[in-house]
Amino acid sequence: MLGPASKLALFRPTICLVSHMSVYPKNYIDPIFKKDQQEALKTSGEHLKIAHIPIKAARNNDTVSVFHDDVISKFTNYIMRKGDKLLARDLLDKSFEQIKRVQLEKYNTAKTEEEKAKIQTNPKEILHQAIENSRPLLQLTPIKRGGVTYQVPVPITINRSNFMAMKWIIEAANEKERTIHFPQKLAWELLDAASNQGRVVKRKQDLHKQCEANRAYAHYRWS
Amino acid sequence: MSQLTRFLERNLQNPSLRLSAIQIRHLSSQAEEEKSFDDEEFRVLNLRPTQVQRQQRRVYKKDEPQPPRTKVMPVDQDWPNVWPGPRTFHPASVPLPLRQGFTEKNAPPPSKYGNAELMKIPNFLHLTPPAINRQCEALKKFCTPWPKNLETAEKWEKHFPVEIVKSDYCHALPSVRQPEARKVSLKIKLSNLKFDKHSKDKFLRLVGDRYNHENDVLTIQTDRCPTKKQNYDYAQYLLTACYYESFEVEDWEATKSLADMEVYEFEHNKSKISTEAILNWGSSGDKKKVDPGFAKSVETLINEGENEYNLKKYKEESKKLLGLK
Amino acid sequence: MLIRQLKQFPRALSHFSTVAEPAQVKLEHFRTNESTVSSQGSQHIGRFYRIPLEERKQLFTHGGLPKSFEKQAKTFGEVCVMVREPAVEIIDYIKSSDLSRPVNRFVLHGDDGCGKSLTLAHVLHYGLQNEFVLVHVPWVPNWFKRPKETANSSTHEGFIDLPFDSAAWLIHFKTQNANLLPKLNLKTTKDYVWSKRETTPAGSTLLELIEHGINRVKFASDAITALLSELKQHSTDGKCKVMVGIDGYNAFFHDKTRILTENKAKVTPDKVTLTKPFLDITNYDWTNGVCILAVDRIALTEERMESSLPRYQLGKEGFEHCDPFIPIKVENYSEEEFENCIAYYLDRRWIQNVTEGFDNELKHLSAKNPYNLMSVCAPL
Repeated sequence: MLGPASKLALFRPTICLVSHMSVYPKNYIDPIFKKDQQEALKTSGEHLKIAHIPIKAARNNDTVSVFHDDVISKFTNYIMRKGDKLLARDLLDKSFEQIKRVQLEKYNTAKTEEEKAKIQTNPKEILHQAIENSRPLLQLTPIKRGGVTYQVPVPITINRSNFMAMKWIIEAANEKERTIHFPQKLAWELLDAASNQGRVVKRKQDLHKQCEANRAYAHYRWS
Repeated sequence: MSQLTRFLERNLQNPSLRLSAIQIRHLSSQAEEEKSFDDEEFRVLNLRPTQVQRQQRRVYKKDEPQPPRTKVMPVDQDWPNVWPGPRTFHPASVPLPLRQGFTEKNAPPPSKYGNAELMKIPNFLHLTPPAINRQCEALKKFCTPWPKNLETAEKWEKHFPVEIVKSDYCHALPSVRQPEARKVSLKIKLSNLKFDKHSKDKFLRLVGDRYNHENDVLTIQTDRCPTKKQNYDYAQYLLTACYYESFEVEDWEATKSLADMEVYEFEHNKSKISTEAILNWGSSGDKKKVDPGFAKSVETLINEGENEYNLKKYKEESKKLLGLK
Repeated sequence: MLIRQLKQFPRALSHFSTVAEPAQVKLEHFRTNESTVSSQGSQHIGRFYRIPLEERKQLFTHGGLPKSFEKQAKTFGEVCVMVREPAVEIIDYIKSSDLSRPVNRFVLHGDDGCGKSLTLAHVLHYGLQNEFVLVHVPWVPNWFKRPKETANSSTHEGFIDLPFDSAAWLIHFKTQNANLLPKLNLKTTKDYVWSKRETTPAGSTLLELIEHGINRVKFASDAITALLSELKQHSTDGKCKVMVGIDGYNAFFHDKTRILTENKAKVTPDKVTLTKPFLDITNYDWTNGVCILAVDRIALTEERMESSLPRYQLGKEGFEHCDPFIPIKVENYSEEEFENCIAYYLDRRWIQNVTEGFDNELKHLSAKNPYNLMSVCAPL
């Protein structure tokens, strides 16, 4: 039964039935590039375990920069079109600047300390807040039962909801007048979403409403 | 037999069978031989005749080589007599344990016997110090004493600034002429010649890239003429002609304007006018002169090109000039 | 985040202030209260001082601060300029120099974004406080790169007028010297005949001359010529002191502009009427004044951007025009200046994501170049 190729395969440690797409063999582990994570490994002594395991090369967007933030980096990737990350990063940086300028001017004109304390001027926090506020909990999936397609509410994972929130924000920012620039609009959308207003939050609420309306179909998920 | 001849007669009439007739004739002679063995039983067909005992070839005996001459050489022999002139290397004459070349990895280099590598390279075994010494001794009677007051290199240079380089060639060619031998090069330090500003500039333009700015040496090489003597004269002529030509001033040189200047000179530029005007502002008396340090700094700034250092120097000088602390 | 900020900079809160609020409490280490420029000395180097609102309005309403800095000032709610070595140096020279001697020319040079324009602004502030008549051109290439309108000069054959830009400059001049001109009461020394019916007789005030230039835009360029020659005359006579500050001065000596004639031929700067008066006033042949000229790579076109050093930027002609001048180099931030700037940005909340080692990273990202630092910090 064994062909010549499979006979050879006996001498390999593993027999690959499905081709493995990565350039790295499967025993390679992901690189740990953050300084604090490396420190943590060292203090816990776990670095000895992986000392002799081959490690993949770090990707070019893996950075030890103190300004690095996972959410921002993800968001940049979603903004990116045709692999132009430089442009995407530039756009996001510009909209952060806009946010800062708007908020700082508000902050500087505020009269009292309490008012000032209320104003969030950190664009990173605003982005996080905006995403948090526009995350949906459910989504509608078309399911065909008895020749009729029902829109069935389905709970989604955190990853998926994060993705949808970011996608919605970017879509909202793209719907603009020709004269307004993307960073400007994105800044507005982010500020709106962070204060739980605006089109993205509205979209989320609409989706939730529709899910609520279609709750009768919920059992189609499993039956 | 009679049958056979009959057959022959019949067939000979046919010309196409002439060839076979010859063969038959051969057969008939064999048949006569067979007659003599007729009394014995059967003849043996000997396909491979038994080898005749080959005659012993006479062994050529080579003479034993003579032991190399070096074995009998006395230690205190007179080497220049053994090796009096230039000659290809010969292992038996050289009492040295030489090895040269490469055969295989980790093996020692081949010895001097039958070593082509040693024979290929020129050797200087005839130029040992005692040999040279002997030749010098022989030549001594033809020498004149070294001129007085020319003991050091500085003095040579002072009194004989021109250096001539010629080459003679000794070789074995059908022609006695060597094309390189006619070349003459003349070298002189330009500091030995007296110039004024204009003539120096003109001289340098005339000689072009024959002048080396780094060591101030002018080299004139001549190879146009067929003989060395002519080339030597020509080099001397070139030097003289260029030197005197450089002192000639043409009429059109007077029309040289500021834009034609090769280097920036503070004296001829607007900067001097404005600087002097600033220095002598409001005073009608005797004119103040511009500090040469300032002029120098402007010149270096423009001629050498701008850099932080030159600019800093210029700043210091102009501060001094304008009286700022 | 905010709490951590407050912990780090306990004094910060008192200075998250509006413009009008006087600085009364004890200052942070990176600020100085000394808004009188003449009393700033080497002990103030690296500290920020605030330009009062009124003086700022008078000086920079019609330009003078770089656009990005203007934006920054709007966000921060105040105009703070760092006292830096080159400005202090120039002011010291001005203070120590003998004004009865011919004018000293200072040429500011330095790489992009090092702060040449702000140094010039700082010195202009000094000029304003010390009653210099300010002749300030915010950015010369504006005239040659994007003029509002061009017209053939009626007085000079073959020259090009920039009427609107000239009028705008006259307004700028008028606002900058609004307090000083009536006080000095300078009179014109000769008649200016504009047309058959319009003349400015000798003995009328300079303000009238300026007003005429502003109202009759056609004559604005000639009015500038007249005004500047009058100013030179008056200051040589000792009636006033003049401070000339020109940013992008090397554009006057560039070999091209974007201005086209009627035949669509490019005009060189020396064929623009505005060039001559400003070259005249930067010449050495007058007294009681000082010229601060900033040369900038960006003032020229791309083929002339190799070096930022003054001889290259000014060219042969420009160098000869200015020689002897004092080159003043504006450099990147020093270590102390950089730290102060970071502290200032933290105080103004321009940097908010603070983790350990952030300043070090910023230092390497920006190479301590002021403009780079500002833009690198923008999204933080």
